[in-house]
Amino acid sequence: MADTVATVTLTINGREVTVPKGTTVLEAAKSVGIEIPTFCWHPKLKPVGACRICYVEIEKMPKLQVSCATEAMPGMVVNTESEKVKEGRKAVLEFILINHPLDCPTCDKGGECDLQDNTFAHGIDDSRFDFNKYRFIRERKSTFDDYRIGPEIVRNQNRCILCFKCVRANKEIFGEYDLGVFQGGNISEIDTAPGEKVDSIYSGNLVEICPVGALTNTDWRYKIRVWKTQQVKSVCSYCADGCNLTLWKERDKVYRVTSRRNDVIDEGWICDVGRYGYQLASVEGRLTTPLIKKGDKQVAATWEEAIGLIARKFREIKDKKGGVCIGGLISPQQDCEALLAFSKFFRTQLHSNNIDFRTEYKMLPEKESPYYSRLTSASFRIADIENSDTILVVGTNLIKEHPIVHLRVRKAVNQKGAKLYTLNPFTTKSGDLSRDEIVHVPGTLEAFLNGLCIGLAEKADGEGNVRAAELKARLEPNTTAKAAEICGISEARLNDLAEALRSAKKISIIVGELVSGSPAREAIAAAIHNLTVVLNLNERGQAAILSRAANSKGAERLGVMPSLSKELQQKLKSMWGGFPETEGRATDRMIHAAKKEELDALLIIGANPVASFPDGQFVREGLDKLDFTVVADLYETETTEKADVVLPLSSWVEQSGHFINLEGTMQRFEAAIKPVGNSRPGRQIIEDIAREFKGGLFADAHEIAREMQELLNVEPRPSFPDAVAEVKFAEEKIEKDYPYPLFVVDEMHHFGHLTERSRSLAAFAAEAQVEISPSLAEKLQIENGSLVRLESETGKLVLPAKISEMLDNDVILISRNFSGTAANMLQMRKKRIDRVRLIRVDEK
Amino acid sequence: MILNKISIAEIKERMVKYPRRKSVILPALTVAYRQVGHLSDQIYREISDIIEVPYIEVAEAASFYTMFPKEPVGKYLIQVCHNISCALLGADSLVGYLEEKLGIKKGETTPDNLFTLISVECLGSCASAPMMQINDKYYENLTREKVDRILEELRRQG
Amino acid sequence: MEKRILFKYIDDPNQIHIDTYIAHGGYKAWEKTLKTMQPAQVIDEVKKSGLRGRGGAGFPAGMKWNFVPKDSPKPRYLICNADESEPGTCKDRVLMEQDPHGVVEGMAIAAYAIGSHLAFCYVRGEFVKPAALMEQAVKEAYDKKMLGKNIFGTGYDLNMVVHTGGGAYICGEETALLNSLEGERGMSRIRPPFPAVEGLYACPTVVNNVETLAAVPHIINNGGEWYASMGTEKSKGTKIFSLSGHVKKPGNYEVEMGTPLSYLISELGGGPLDGHKIKAIIPGGSSTPFLLPSQIDAPLDYESIAAAGSMLGSGAVIVMDERTCMVWVIERLIHFYRHESCGKCTPCREGTGWLEQLISRIERGEGKPGDLEKIDSICDNILGRTICPLGDAAVMPIQSALKLFRDEFQYHIDHKKCLVKSEFEFK
Ligand SMILES: Cc1cc2nc3c(=O)[nH]c(=O)nc-3n(C[C@H](O)[C@H](O)[C@H](O)COP(=O)(O)O)c2cc1C
Ligand code: SF4
Ligand code: FES
Repeated sequence: MADTVATVTLTINGREVTVPKGTTVLEAAKSVGIEIPTFCWHPKLKPVGACRICYVEIEKMPKLQVSCATEAMPGMVVNTESEKVKEGRKAVLEFILINHPLDCPTCDKGGECDLQDNTFAHGIDDSRFDFNKYRFIRERKSTFDDYRIGPEIVRNQNRCILCFKCVRANKEIFGEYDLGVFQGGNISEIDTAPGEKVDSIYSGNLVEICPVGALTNTDWRYKIRVWKTQQVKSVCSYCADGCNLTLWKERDKVYRVTSRRNDVIDEGWICDVGRYGYQLASVEGRLTTPLIKKGDKQVAATWEEAIGLIARKFREIKDKKGGVCIGGLISPQQDCEALLAFSKFFRTQLHSNNIDFRTEYKMLPEKESPYYSRLTSASFRIADIENSDTILVVGTNLIKEHPIVHLRVRKAVNQKGAKLYTLNPFTTKSGDLSRDEIVHVPGTLEAFLNGLCIGLAEKADGEGNVRAAELKARLEPNTTAKAAEICGISEARLNDLAEALRSAKKISIIVGELVSGSPAREAIAAAIHNLTVVLNLNERGQAAILSRAANSKGAERLGVMPSLSKELQQKLKSMWGGFPETEGRATDRMIHAAKKEELDALLIIGANPVASFPDGQFVREGLDKLDFTVVADLYETETTEKADVVLPLSSWVEQSGHFINLEGTMQRFEAAIKPVGNSRPGRQIIEDIAREFKGGLFADAHEIAREMQELLNVEPRPSFPDAVAEVKFAEEKIEKDYPYPLFVVDEMHHFGHLTERSRSLAAFAAEAQVEISPSLAEKLQIENGSLVRLESETGKLVLPAKISEMLDNDVILISRNFSGTAANMLQMRKKRIDRVRLIRVDEK
Repeated sequence: MILNKISIAEIKERMVKYPRRKSVILPALTVAYRQVGHLSDQIYREISDIIEVPYIEVAEAASFYTMFPKEPVGKYLIQVCHNISCALLGADSLVGYLEEKLGIKKGETTPDNLFTLISVECLGSCASAPMMQINDKYYENLTREKVDRILEELRRQG
Repeated sequence: MEKRILFKYIDDPNQIHIDTYIAHGGYKAWEKTLKTMQPAQVIDEVKKSGLRGRGGAGFPAGMKWNFVPKDSPKPRYLICNADESEPGTCKDRVLMEQDPHGVVEGMAIAAYAIGSHLAFCYVRGEFVKPAALMEQAVKEAYDKKMLGKNIFGTGYDLNMVVHTGGGAYICGEETALLNSLEGERGMSRIRPPFPAVEGLYACPTVVNNVETLAAVPHIINNGGEWYASMGTEKSKGTKIFSLSGHVKKPGNYEVEMGTPLSYLISELGGGPLDGHKIKAIIPGGSSTPFLLPSQIDAPLDYESIAAAGSMLGSGAVIVMDERTCMVWVIERLIHFYRHESCGKCTPCREGTGWLEQLISRIERGEGKPGDLEKIDSICDNILGRTICPLGDAAVMPIQSALKLFRDEFQYHIDHKKCLVKSEFEFK
């Protein structure tokens, strides 16, 4: 029998209301459209009943009750508008206002302030308070008390009404400990710990959640009045979580981004990259017009000239050597429309399968193994994480890669008691939440996973799992002891995890970029696959390699890869009346081909492989050999530098489109402003080229929509095959000369190659740093900020060091987001794990 | 490190008694206060490291509890109860008398750093009013004569 | 007449040592409990005794213990509330300083009754000596195997921790105490959930006052009926009253419930100071309304004091003679409550601050016409509207003073000075 939800029926303002048991009176009232004012209540936080504005009168209870913290009980008779309630509210407002500055004319919150609104609706226009208002003074910058508590947040304590929502959300939801309540009574203060700042990846939410103007961000302060703006529905264009956003704009400027609560995805929280990333749209220095290389200069040209030249060149190459000598790289942050157009142009007009969106990974196979692609296309629900009792996070610094998925994991652990295990080559923030934070020797992940399978297969065999015996046979003669030894983890911990997984009722296995970006991705995926088989995960959970960027999933589902599943290929063939027979090349093979002069031209949209492909030297050499390079981007980059034609690309706020998030959900976003300068959206650029080259790609907008839909209807391998994959045990050799494993990753507040242009994001981090653990810092006598030289077999880099409390083993992390730092010059395309040595450079 | 070995050992000893580490914040602050005489950011950091709770949680808690001075005070912290029972028996004039004897105003520290004088809320010694607490010790049923003797004794001990 | 039960050995300086305590019959009740009684029987006995909480609210102890869910798989905790900070109250300190084992034994029995294996004694931070004596008593009890593992060979384990606070009155309020004990700022929590269901670390928890718990061993030794034979119909047993203020012999006196207030003040306390007349009496700690001299014959029990318009509270009787300016008294008290408000809920945080400003301006002679009505109204807006009863505690004495001594307040406003100036010299 299905769970029947127990309900309660009560009367509110004379109306009968039935709600699930456990609902508060406040929410019961809300459910029938009766609004009760609140300040300290928040749908996602535990009620604290502090502000007292939400009073209601309940029959048989002599005192007014706070509806936010009173559970609806059968037969309750509630009045939300009685004289006594009104009086109670007025009294609370009067109390709050006695020390509140009433600087509404210059307060940024004006027009959207809960205090203003509630006073307007329920208060009185006169105060009986005739003393001087109490003043907190910290850093007098204006007539008010502006005090910066973080790179982007300004606090005005005088306006604070002590609802504590910021601090509560920060600790309860985000697990961040950089904001607190200090002192007590009527001099209580919201502040950072002495000497600290509020700079977590979730910091902007604290501003958004503040009901008054106590916390404001520099982004929006003093720029515009809220009632002059229009709101546009958007979706984040950075990571694949797919948070829903509202863009606040007036004329041709976006003023801020806030969350647009979607409970199955973001629950109303967004990360700071999503919040401030929009700024890069309207920063000085955007490419506003096409450029064509003349001699060694790129000079301004019209769109007609540029498109004409591209079409001509492509035709020349195609005619002479074939379309397969042209390749295309496109950013997975482009919308579905652009991705589909890209694929269609290459496949139907150039007859080339040389397209890829994975420009930041090395050693990509042309054709993914079924195990790998099953894991990337597996169905995965963010909201389902909280229904899991056991969660295994593998190969990802989750809070960075998928900040909103991380929040769901936190919720599962903290509110639902799920057990979390993390499995990574270095320590991450998720580890704080975990039962066991397992840090393996870099490059030995599949050994660990196979080790897990050994023990599980043994047990599962006894329990009648049909594949267990086969898996056992494959794993022999390896032992858990051997596996444990290879990855530097005690066998007991390995066994504990195996047992936790075995006895779990519902499991989520979350796999990230340290796997998808690893040259060993296929072997690791095989091991994870085996784990899902031996755990019989089809029936009790979900496991997925999460896609990385906002539309990586779209790129996979729409086929922006050199090699596609049979089903997809079939579909495209029938839809387009043909499909190239030739084999396509993945990113690194395209570059390799360019180097060998087997590829003549590249069309690159929104990507910057020169800076982001993990072997800088290799890409530079490859691109130098190309006859013709076309690059579309928002700004000049290391890659546009090498282009024969540079095209100004519009950002996502300048266009409408669709992204498919890591769950496979397609979401529409709307344009907020016109394209900046003469820039054009990616999809238009591709259409323009195609039209000039051979003819339009789509008859009309309906056709794009229909084709997209048809492709999305192709089932992306719904469940796990129960076949057992081949087993590989890797063992990582330590090289004495280059002792430290290097990971080139996104900096916490950045994503990809453009966010350094966002003023706010640059305020969090403006340059690349070398992140090392305190213990390594101590060993090498490196201090925070001191310069260090990194040396790999291929390159050298001097950067400031940042000692990260989060890390505690000898690995090195560098951010890949800054144009001034060619971190990829340290990487080698053929190495599984990049390694460096680290030398302290004494200041001049 | 400000906290000495004894204090650290004491804090660690306390840790095993509680089901949750965070509960040790207040005892740890007390240990630190007994050793140092006041609290500071540095102390919060050290406590946070020892008991492994976020620094801010230690700082937040410390700021709430008014018993611990957050700035250095004299060797002898004189806290006169000014609440009702003591006030009825002359707590205010006791403060006045101490101000006169020490040559400082309430809230101040003598130049030799020996005495700091403050007045505080009820210390739970109402039936022995007026009273004061000097460091850990209660002095009750105070008279001028008693106060003279106490100050003299403390001055002698230096 | 004093009726010394909890105070029986209060004058014996050796009572703090476990051997003396045992020689005086100590820990017999604990042994009897563990060896012969089921938890439910202990609760029954305490229910029968009619023992009511001595921390202020007078809630029946046995009933509270019974609220602990019997089937909860979570650990349970017992907490002895030794935060004693309500102005006028100084009885718990005496119990801890002079007879700490009595408190330990009471805690142990109560812990057993609710199935707790870990008990805390939350002692206010300023009580360094009482805390040290409690620590010592606990240590002695461990040494004698009265605490720890397998006590009296019965298989029952009980640990006890003496925890000290940081100087915050609010931490005497049970939910703030729980937060404080968890290492949080001592801010109150909304109820429900009640501590008995979700208290310390979200586990079932009972919080009892020192005096409440100290009475328990006597009830076990002599039976609930014996205890119930003392006192009045609804207020059973004895109670310790802290007598302070303008009396000849202030002190802590244990008397039977129902003993007339006049007996406490005049006989035990020696009456008003020579040449002075009583003006007002606070019967139950600074948060309770005033009584007038005409009510001095009121019996000291929960019902009678309530009938007289006040509350028995913690049993702290503060006597004020005719030299006392009531505005001055109220200023002291509102200053205290403003200072001690945790700051969580709006009416208490903002209201106490506003009241303090108004009252001190009246006391300074700067009061304005209409101020008293404003105070009335602010009090109404706080009373019953806060998370914890600190808000009520702050306004009840003010409302009472404005009712009983309104003229005096009015005089301050009209004449910009005191009707009687309180300038108390110490000897
Ligand atoms: C502001 C405030 C302060 C309190 N202070 C104390 C206290 O110091 N000691 C105490 O035992 N109870 C105090 N109480 C009462 C406690 O909340 C609680 O009711 C009591 O400890 C229960 O014990 P009992 O049932 O044995 O009385 C206080 C209550 C309030 C509202
Ligand atoms: S700063 Fe804002 S969110 Fe935080 S407590 Fe104050 S009013 Fe509430
Ligand atoms: S919203 Fe209910 S008390 Fe604040």
